[in-house]
Amino acid sequence: MWVIVLLFGVSLITFVIFYLLPSSNPALLRAGHQPTAALIKAIDHEYGLDKPWYNQYLDYMKALVLHFNFGYSFEYQTPVRTMIFNRLPATISLALGAAVIWLVSGIIIGTISAVRPRSRFDRASMGLALVAISAPPYWLGLLTLFLFSTSVGKFPIFPGAGSYVPLTQNPVHWFTSLILPWLVLAASFAAIYARLLRGNLMEVMSEDYIRTARAKGVPERRVIVRHGIRSAITPLVSAAGVDIGVLLGGVILVETVFTIPGIGQLAYQSILQGDLPMIQGTVLLGAFFIVIMNLIVDIGYAFIDPRVRYT
Amino acid sequence: MRSTSERMGMRRLWRLGLTVVVGVASLAIVGCGSSSSSSGTTSSSKIVNGGTATILWTAGGIDSLDPGYWYYQDDYSDIMEPTQRQLYSFTEQGTYPVPDLATSLPVISDGGKTLTIHLKSGIHYSPPLQSKTVTSSDIKYAMERCFLASVANGYAEAYYPKIVGAPPAPVNKLPNITGLETPNPTTLIIKTSVPVGVLDDSNALALPCTTPVPEYYAAKYDKGATSTYGEHEVFTGPYMIQGAGSGTIPASGYTSGRIMILVRNPSWQRSTDPLRAAHFNEIVFKGEYDITIAARQTLTGSNMISGDYAAPPTSILQQGVTGSEKSQFIIAPSDGNRYISLNTTIPPLNNIDVRKAIAAVIDKNALRLTRGGPTLGTVATHYIPPGMPGFDQAGGDAGPGYNFDTNPNGDLTLAEQYMKMAGYKTGKYTGPALLTIADNEPPASNTALAVQSELATLGFKLIFREVPHATVLSKFCLVPKAKVAICPTLGWGKDFYDSQSMLDPVFNGKNIVPVGNTNTSQVNNPQLNAQMNAAEEITNPAQRAIAWGKIDDELTAGAYAVPWLWDNEVSFASKNVHLQVWAFNGNAPDVTNSYLTKG
Repeated sequence: MWVIVLLFGVSLITFVIFYLLPSSNPALLRAGHQPTAALIKAIDHEYGLDKPWYNQYLDYMKALVLHFNFGYSFEYQTPVRTMIFNRLPATISLALGAAVIWLVSGIIIGTISAVRPRSRFDRASMGLALVAISAPPYWLGLLTLFLFSTSVGKFPIFPGAGSYVPLTQNPVHWFTSLILPWLVLAASFAAIYARLLRGNLMEVMSEDYIRTARAKGVPERRVIVRHGIRSAITPLVSAAGVDIGVLLGGVILVETVFTIPGIGQLAYQSILQGDLPMIQGTVLLGAFFIVIMNLIVDIGYAFIDPRVRYT
Repeated sequence: MRSTSERMGMRRLWRLGLTVVVGVASLAIVGCGSSSSSSGTTSSSKIVNGGTATILWTAGGIDSLDPGYWYYQDDYSDIMEPTQRQLYSFTEQGTYPVPDLATSLPVISDGGKTLTIHLKSGIHYSPPLQSKTVTSSDIKYAMERCFLASVANGYAEAYYPKIVGAPPAPVNKLPNITGLETPNPTTLIIKTSVPVGVLDDSNALALPCTTPVPEYYAAKYDKGATSTYGEHEVFTGPYMIQGAGSGTIPASGYTSGRIMILVRNPSWQRSTDPLRAAHFNEIVFKGEYDITIAARQTLTGSNMISGDYAAPPTSILQQGVTGSEKSQFIIAPSDGNRYISLNTTIPPLNNIDVRKAIAAVIDKNALRLTRGGPTLGTVATHYIPPGMPGFDQAGGDAGPGYNFDTNPNGDLTLAEQYMKMAGYKTGKYTGPALLTIADNEPPASNTALAVQSELATLGFKLIFREVPHATVLSKFCLVPKAKVAICPTLGWGKDFYDSQSMLDPVFNGKNIVPVGNTNTSQVNNPQLNAQMNAAEEITNPAQRAIAWGKIDDELTAGAYAVPWLWDNEVSFASKNVHLQVWAFNGNAPDVTNSYLTKG
């Protein structure tokens, strides 16, 4: 229930913000080169833009709930739903692929660093993590393109900007075209997750039950994986839920640098054009994914953390 | 009306303050035109016919598929010239219209009020109408539908209203313009109520409204609130959109802002079209690129031509025009200007001395640096840009010579004198803050900040709001009731080589309308209005130049706005491309006449 209330609240706030703040008149986008007062009036009436804002909002929500209709983009002259669904696969491909990379690498690096604190590996990996966290994705994206892309790179290895194709069209090309974007997007997340896991795992490994497990003769590998990581990973799962949810709502910078036709690019262009229906659609989509991912995380806790399961 | 690129050309107030990240660093060491020839990149290699050209869009590309809607530079370069023919057109560096679908320039009679135009015969449409030929009725219908509100044309009202029977404003039902007569399939007669200079010299007949549209095919798509003819368009030029032969353009051939693929039109015959060499077999436009990547990829790649951005980012431009890539660039005037609009209906801007003070204090060189320095244009001293008729008559580069307009670095002392003349004893403004609306993205936002800082030296306090470019236009600067005092990030480009298109829409009182108001300064000087209305009817080119030059001079004297830059267009291509640019289109790339080279 709270999920519905939350989405309703987000939609209301977005609508009010863009209604009250300076934004383009959707009718003007529709009217083209001859936005006469009469034409604007006719378009306003045709699309209900002459109604009070709360009536427009109710109409919007009614269409959304009853017909899953997100409205019509006056900039693209296309239904918002069509645009969003056309672009969703690219964003999902990017976000989930990157999530796999940052989770796997973050967990591995964080674990090794935690069990071998102050080792060379620990110092090097944590130093690199700081660099990765500090590097803005936009800059990192340009850097990797100028270094490694086949189009403009000094060491042409991977396909560059604009090379994305849908998975259904060419799976191999899809995979190779996303390697650089995945790495760029995953870099800072992997660094954050590695540092987070390192801290948590070091704390967990000093707990009494870990000492007990060792005293009982449980192999160290099993102690780390079954008892240590399982407890230390819970905060990462929480963070991953939110992060993946946010990214599914649009990865603006990475999509822009690598010319990936996803939701982030769409949202960015819509904001620049003052395309309210599209902004509303992308914001709602983002909120939806955040809510859903949090729900999945809550359920996932029960499987990951024994303390949650037994309480 | 849209805001996706900063390229100049046509009447593009909308695009001039946009979102391209050109950067703020100066390129003072690089002079204008410092690259190659003004019409084509230098190359001693052989012409390769065929191949695929690729162009990367960073700002959405074309506005529409409908010829009746086309108005902006990218529409002209990316789709109009490659895919459609008009009654008249321009050669690559030509400044006068030449016959395209017509056999010759119009035969003018009845004191300039009747134009008789003969069409070439045997010009076929693309599939699915390949068996049909272009007739005068198709031109008549094309011009009539430009008055339909559903087509949303941007200039028919400005250039065709004096054709007998033409409606004064957009209409919902197709008008029957009696002044367009078609006595036979290859003859079109245009009758006007008074002589119209831009029709008699054919300039206004080279606009996309004269792209033939067959009524028997298109009428059904023109019904309704918005025409859908563009989605079913038939073509007369050397190229057509991939898949259009089915009668409906598929998403694989064109998806707004993302992709457009042009392939050869099997109906086009080179022998009938001396203007379009059409070397490439295919032209592919890909959208949503980051400008840095697009520019770099174009310069280092192959078969590529620059896309919908006025200039590459400063670092790439600087490196390019001074280094080994110099021969890949063409930097040439775009025939447009940028100006600070001062709303003459809002105090104290209704006081000419205050406006002169503002003009005097503006450091135009500093504003130019916010866009990239001298490479990006020449400091403007009046409105008509270099190369246009009337430019010399308005004073040329030096301008009319008014003291508030002569120092490109600004003159605070002089500005304070004007403020004193306006009644401000200290020479500083002391009244309420002025609403100022500017773009929120560089380079335009940087320009706006510079303007704000320069006005502050005269004591002006601004209610300074930065919003997206579309909002600057649609909600503020083009809406008189928004009561915006200063719009610092506006500009204007020519429609053709006639200065009416530079001055009349921006300063004639008849163009003040509640929305979409291009006369942002709301200049409504009866004497100037009468001068402009009279100049519109002059048919002698030399006299027109004198008349519009004089009007430019008087507009500058009135300080209704502060013109500060005559823009340059920066075009470039890959090493294996011989790039041509089209002067009529503000020296934007001419993909129809560019070609690949070998060796």
